[in-house]
Amino acid sequence: MRVFIMQRLTAVALVLFLTLHMIVVHYPPGHLDFSRVIERLANPIWKGIDILFLLAVLIHALAGAYAVLMDVERVTPYKRALIGGSIILGVVAFVYGAMTILAFDPSALLAVN
Amino acid sequence: MANHEPTQKATIRVQRFNPDVDPKPYLATFEIDITGDTTILDALELIKGTLDGSLTFRRSCRHAICGSCAMNVNGRNMLVCNRRVNALLDRQGRVTIRPLPYLPIIKDLVVDRSSFWEQYLRVKPWLIPPATNGGPMTGEYHVLPEEVEALKMAETCIMCGACYSACQVVAMNKQYIGPHALLKAFLRVLDPRDAAPAERLANVGGEDGVFRCHTIFNCIDACPKGLDPTFAIETLRKLAQKRQAFEADRLERQKSL
Amino acid sequence: MYKTTGFISFLFRRVSGVALVLYLFMHIWVIGAANGGAEAFNARMAVLQAPLFRILEVALLTAVIYHGFDGIRLLIVHWFRVTEYRQSLFYAMFVLFVLVSIVGGVPLLLFALEGN
Repeated sequence: MRVFIMQRLTAVALVLFLTLHMIVVHYPPGHLDFSRVIERLANPIWKGIDILFLLAVLIHALAGAYAVLMDVERVTPYKRALIGGSIILGVVAFVYGAMTILAFDPSALLAVN
Repeated sequence: MANHEPTQKATIRVQRFNPDVDPKPYLATFEIDITGDTTILDALELIKGTLDGSLTFRRSCRHAICGSCAMNVNGRNMLVCNRRVNALLDRQGRVTIRPLPYLPIIKDLVVDRSSFWEQYLRVKPWLIPPATNGGPMTGEYHVLPEEVEALKMAETCIMCGACYSACQVVAMNKQYIGPHALLKAFLRVLDPRDAAPAERLANVGGEDGVFRCHTIFNCIDACPKGLDPTFAIETLRKLAQKRQAFEADRLERQKSL
Repeated sequence: MYKTTGFISFLFRRVSGVALVLYLFMHIWVIGAANGGAEAFNARMAVLQAPLFRILEVALLTAVIYHGFDGIRLLIVHWFRVTEYRQSLFYAMFVLFVLVSIVGGVPLLLFALEGN
């Protein structure tokens, strides 16, 4: 039940987050490189938004994958392993992703000669 | 036959399978004469009576109340006793009858409904009345008209299995409780005379219950009585999240029952 | 297989969902190049500017829009009793999906075809 509720809550959050993300990153279409991304991500507010977005999308993706796998009868006995594995994968991906977002620092630009 | 109605020809394709003889199921074709009133069940009886006595299928009341004759016709689950052949002929003038899908086939159009009944029993489909402290009931229950109205879309289930067999979640996972049993659970949970809604909601709110439904709506499409298991499941989903509060309200309601 | 609009919606939703999960983890890894500094990031991004990836980006967009819109349809089904108009709701959602995909996808396609 809790997985389902988290799935739906993050779904609502993602409608907003993902729309925002698609628009600010991809429109107008152009060459994507560090300097273009840093225009936005230098601002700590955008870093915060992206980290929250990352959290929501990871929860939704893993809850969704869990639902898909649990539908298969042969997988149902492995429910605990599935949840444990998802949490580990989620934490690793979140830490790595958050580090990446924080790595968009203007000083990294200056380091490039 | 004293019937002077004009007849037309119809091609009836029926899936056959005799486990003692056949390696796998196959489609047999029969040509029969039908009138405007011939039902699919009439057609099957005609085939069995005059063309092939070994054709095996379940049927009983022939007026859509016993639930025995649910089958898959032209790819959709339905009762065969209340559907006319000439309304279901495809562009090649054929009707294709198969057994209910996703269930083991016993013979021809007869399937093994064990999982259907096991899941049904799992939700305790009987009413659990308020405790009378060992004594007899002292009067009738007073149930309000709006409470009866809320149950209308779940009452007339004839346990035919059309919804259960049409459900894609059931197809993938026989541990899923299923639209038929969840509809029955809804009927009991919303009944003011039932004293155990929290237990029922905990039962259907588990991993195999209401949260497994993916709102595919096949159950509604298949139901010959026009019932709404999806709405029942959505309602149970909302109630399962606050089952203690719901039971508290129920106990309060039962004081004036 | 039971061919109804409900089943088709479920199938597309599930396929787009699985594709997006796989894409997500790949995306986190790809953007992770930024941990090595701007140069490392730009090097990796340069690979992705190729026309093939730009066209795949449009496919990604349609997957996201379909999955999102069908999800919104599910939220509507959860809050309202849609039984009588369940098919119309699906068709309406599908039309919106096509429209928004065109509005969003055409600029991306044009950019992909005109080169850097």
